[in-house]
Amino acid sequence: MSLAPAGAVPVTAATTAGTTAGRGAPPARRRPARRTVASVGWGVLALLVSAAFAFPVYWMVSTSFLPTDLISGPELHLWPDEPTLRNYDTAIFRQERSPFLPALGNSLQVTFLVLVASMVLAFLGSLALTRFRFRGRRAFVLSILVVQMIPGEAMMITVFQLVDTWQLLNTVVALGVVYLAGVLPFTIWTLRGFVNGVPVELEEAAMIDGCSRPRAFWKVTFPLLAPGLVATGVFAFLQAWNEFMMALIIMTRPESMTLPVWLRTFQQATKATDWGALMAGSVLVAIPVVVFFLLVQGRMTGGLVSGAVKG
Amino acid sequence: MASTTLTPPGAAPAPRATRAITAARLLPWLLLAPSAAVLLVVTGYPLVRMLWLSVHEYERAQLLGVPAPFVGLDNYTATLTDPRFWTVTARSFAFMVVCVVLTIVVGTLVALLLMKLGRGMRLVLSVGLLLAWAMPPLAAMLVWGWIFDTQYGVVNHLLTSLTSTDWMGHSWLVSPLSFFAVATLVVVWGAIPFVAFTLYAGFTQVPGEVLEAAHLDGANARQRFVDVQVPYVRTIYVVLIVLSMIWDLKVFTQIFVLQGIGGVKSQTSTLGVYIYEMGMAQGHYGAASAIAVVFTLVMLTISAYYVRVTIREETP
Amino acid sequence: MKILRTGAVGLAAALVLAACSGGGDSGTDASDGADGAEIRVWLVGTDTPDAARDYLTTTFEEENPGSTLTIEEQSWTGLVDKLTTALSSSDSPDVVEVGNTQAATFTSAGFFAPLDDIADDLGGDDLLPGFVKAGTWEDTFYAAPYYAGSRIVFYSDQVLGGTPVPTTLDEYVATAKSLRTADRSGLWFPGQDWYNALPFVWENGGFIAEAGDDGEWEAGFSTDGGITGLEQVQDLMTNASNAPKDGDEAELQVPFCAGQTTFLSAPNWIRWSIQAPADAETPGCADTFGADLHAFPLPGATAGETAKVFAGGSNVAVATKSQDVDLAKKALTIMLSEEYQTILAENSMIPARISLASALPDDEFTQASAAAAANAELTPATPRWGDVEAQKVIQDALVRIAQGGDVTTIAQELDASIEQILNG
Repeated sequence: MSLAPAGAVPVTAATTAGTTAGRGAPPARRRPARRTVASVGWGVLALLVSAAFAFPVYWMVSTSFLPTDLISGPELHLWPDEPTLRNYDTAIFRQERSPFLPALGNSLQVTFLVLVASMVLAFLGSLALTRFRFRGRRAFVLSILVVQMIPGEAMMITVFQLVDTWQLLNTVVALGVVYLAGVLPFTIWTLRGFVNGVPVELEEAAMIDGCSRPRAFWKVTFPLLAPGLVATGVFAFLQAWNEFMMALIIMTRPESMTLPVWLRTFQQATKATDWGALMAGSVLVAIPVVVFFLLVQGRMTGGLVSGAVKG
Repeated sequence: MASTTLTPPGAAPAPRATRAITAARLLPWLLLAPSAAVLLVVTGYPLVRMLWLSVHEYERAQLLGVPAPFVGLDNYTATLTDPRFWTVTARSFAFMVVCVVLTIVVGTLVALLLMKLGRGMRLVLSVGLLLAWAMPPLAAMLVWGWIFDTQYGVVNHLLTSLTSTDWMGHSWLVSPLSFFAVATLVVVWGAIPFVAFTLYAGFTQVPGEVLEAAHLDGANARQRFVDVQVPYVRTIYVVLIVLSMIWDLKVFTQIFVLQGIGGVKSQTSTLGVYIYEMGMAQGHYGAASAIAVVFTLVMLTISAYYVRVTIREETP
Repeated sequence: MKILRTGAVGLAAALVLAACSGGGDSGTDASDGADGAEIRVWLVGTDTPDAARDYLTTTFEEENPGSTLTIEEQSWTGLVDKLTTALSSSDSPDVVEVGNTQAATFTSAGFFAPLDDIADDLGGDDLLPGFVKAGTWEDTFYAAPYYAGSRIVFYSDQVLGGTPVPTTLDEYVATAKSLRTADRSGLWFPGQDWYNALPFVWENGGFIAEAGDDGEWEAGFSTDGGITGLEQVQDLMTNASNAPKDGDEAELQVPFCAGQTTFLSAPNWIRWSIQAPADAETPGCADTFGADLHAFPLPGATAGETAKVFAGGSNVAVATKSQDVDLAKKALTIMLSEEYQTILAENSMIPARISLASALPDDEFTQASAAAAANAELTPATPRWGDVEAQKVIQDALVRIAQGGDVTTIAQELDASIEQILNG
C-alpha cells in the first residue's frame, strides 16, 4: 500500500489493534502517576458521551417496563417507578397472530446461515484475490467495489422474481442467499485487506521448514486473520439480523416471518400502537445483537478497517 | 486437502508439470467460485436486468407477464427532466455531506477521547458506543420517534421543564430543516461507534516513540494530532469517508421510518426513499431502474479517485 | 454459544424444510385434482372479528371436504408492496383483502380474477355501489366490497356540557373554534388527516379529481368550492385544534381519553378503543370520558343533512395466480354470505350488503355511522390514484395548510401534482 505509512505497519498491527481496542491496554504511553484534574475531566466527559450514546437504549428499556397507562400520560417517567413485565408478556405471548418465537427462530436461522457462509466464502475469495495472480482478478476487485454503490431498492423486484422462479419463497435458505449476496462484496473486500497484511514471506518461511503450501497457510496466516473474520462476521450478522424489506416480501407466510417484520406488526392502522409492547419487542430484538457483540467484543473493534485499509 | 481437489475429477492424466500449471490456474477460480456464483446470480443478474428495465416501460401489469414495451431512453429523459429528481438529488447530497462531516469529526473526537482515558473509563465509554451500535436500526428509529414524539416525547418534556417555555406539542418533523436535524442526529448517532472504534484502533497503531519524539520537539497536542496521528491513519480516513459517503447517500430506513411518523414527504425524501417510492410503492419499475442507474453513475463519479487508486494498486 | 448451537440445529431444520417445501409443491399439484387444496385468505389488521374468522374456516371446510382454509393476518404497513410481489408470485395467496382506495392499483393490472360469473352469488345489486365501482375496472368486476366504515364525530357529555350539538357544517366549525382552550382542542385535527379534510371540500362544491370526456383528469381542490373548503380546514386546524400540525390519524382515542379535545372525528369502530378500560393493553377511558360518550354524523351544509364523508373500508378479491380459482371463489362467496356479513354487522362494521344494515347494533354510534355512510364518497377510480396516496401529496398540502400557508397557492400546486400523476 503506497498511500500511507499504515502500509508499513508490521504484520501484527492488525491483530493488536483488534485486541487492544477491546481489552483496553493502550500501547506504551506515559501517563503521570498522580491523578490530575485533567484526567478527572476526561473521565467526566467520557461518562457524558457514553450516556448520550446509550440514552435511546436506556429509554427503550425503561419504557418497556412501564405500565401502558403511564407511557402516554402527561407526566414524564425517567425511571420505571412501577415496573411491570406485562409489556413483555404481551409482546411474547399475546401477539397471537404474529408469534414471537417462530420469528426469533427464523431470524436466528437466517443470521447463522449468513454469518457462517459469508465468513467461509469471503475467506476463500480473499485468498484467491491476494495469493494468486490471474486474469480477471482486477475486474473482480473492481466489480465488488462498484456493486456496493448500487441502490438495492431498485433491484428488489428482480431478486424477488428470481427467488420465486426457484420456488424458494418462504425459505430461510433463499433469504440467506439474498443477504449473502448483499454482504459478500464488503466482506471479501475487508478480508482481502487482512490477508494482504500478512506477508507471503511468513508462509514461505514455514514452507522451507517443510510445510506444504496449504498447511503453511493454515498454520501461519490463518491465525492472524481472526480479527478480520470477526469484523466480517459482525457486519454479516448485523445485516442479516436487521434487514426488513426483502424479508417482508420473500417471507410471505406468517410462520416464516423474521424479527424486523414481526416488530412492524405492532403498528396497526386502525388500532392504537401499544408503545410499551413495541419497546419490549425492540428490546427482545436487540438482546441477541448485544449478546453477540459481547461474545466477540475483544476481537471486534478496529477489525473492519484495519482490513479495508490494508487494501 | 486442497491438493486433492485441484484437478477436476475425470481430467485426462497429464504430465506432472502441465497438471501443476493447470492446477495453479484453476485454484484461484475454485476458491472464488462460490462467491462469484452467488454474486453473479443474486447481484449480477438483477444488475443486468436493472439496465434492461431502465429502457422498458415496466409496470405492475408486467409482473404478471404482460410484455414490456421498449421505450428507449424515455425513462432517462423523464428522470433527468423531472425537477423532483434534481431536488431530491441535491437534498441527498447536502444531507450526506453534513452527516459525513459530523460523523468523521465527532468520531475522531470520540476516538481521541478513548485514547485519553484510563482502562475503566474507556470500558464505560466503549459500552455506551457498543449499545448504540448494537441497536437494530428499525428498533432505534421507533425509539427515536418516541423520544421526539410531539405529544409525549421526552425531548419536549425536558425542554418544557428546562426552559420554562411550553414545548409540549412542538413538532420536530414538520419543518424540513428540523426534520433533517433529527435525521442527521439519528444517522450520525448510529454511525459514530463504528468510526470511533476504527479510528481508535488506527491511533493505537501510531508508535508511542513517534508521538514521544514529536512531544520532545515541542509539538503541542494539536500539532501532534495533525502532523503525526492523522498522516498515520490517512488511509483509514479515506476508507471511512468513502464508506460513510456510500452509506449516507443510500440512507433509507431512517428517513422512511421518520416520514411515517411525521413531516412532509415531498420535502424530505432522499434518493433511496425516492427510488423505493417510484419502484416498489408505485410500481414504475422501469423508471425506478433508470433513476438507480443514474444514481450509480453519480456515485462512481464522486468516488472515482478512490476507485482509481485502488485499481492502480492492484498489480495485474 | 448456546445461541449458536440452537442456530445450527435451526439451520439443519431449515435445510430440511427447504427440501420439504420443494416436495410439498408437487404434493399440492397432485391433490388439486382430488379437491384437497389449501386456500389461503389474507385478512388485513385485526378488524375482522374472531367469530367471522371461525365461521369462514368452519363453513368452508364443511362445504369442501378435504380442503382446508387458512387465514393469514397481514399488516396495513407495507401492504401494497407485499401484495404486489406475493400476488405475482407462484406462492400467491388465494383470497385477499385490500383497502378500498388501493383496489384499483390491482384490478387494473390483472392481479385479480374476474368475478362477473359469481357476481349474483356475492349479492349483485345488494352490494355497496361505491365499493363495487372501486372494485370494477373496464366493466369487469374484480373486487367485491367487504365492509365499510365512516367517520363520525364523538364527544363526551361532561366536556360538551350545555353546548348544543351543531346541525350544519358552519355551526360545527364555529362551535369547535369557540370550545378551544389552551389545554383542550375544540376539534382534534392533525395536519395529515386528509380523510377528515375531504368533507369540507365536497360540501363546498369542490372535488378531488374528475375525468373529462377526453379522459384527462382535472383536479378540483383549487376550484372556488375547494378553496372555501380548505380555508375552513385551515380555520379548524389553526383555531380549533391543538393537534400536531404534521400528526396523522393514528391513535385518536389517546388525546380524547386524555381530555385534550371536545370533538373527535374518527372511524366508528374507535368507540371500542375509547370505551376500553384504562388498564387494558391499549388503554381507553371507560370510566371517564368514555362513560358518557356520544356521536353524531358530520352535519352537511344545510341543516338536517349529513355531509359527504370519506368511505373507509375494504374490498376482497380472488388472486389471478391462485392455485385453485374456483375454490377461492367459494371462499369469497362465504365471506359475502348473509351469515358472515351479519357477523360483521353485529360488530359495528357496515356490511357489504345493503340489506343487512338492519343487523347493525341499535346504538347511536352505529346508527350515526350508517347515516354518514349513506352519503359516502370515494377517491377517483383510477389505478394511478395509488400513486397519489403513495406520494402523500394531499397530506403534504394539508400539513402546509395547517401551518398557515396560503390556501390558494397550495391548492393550485396540489391540483397540479394530482393532475400530473393521474394524467401520467
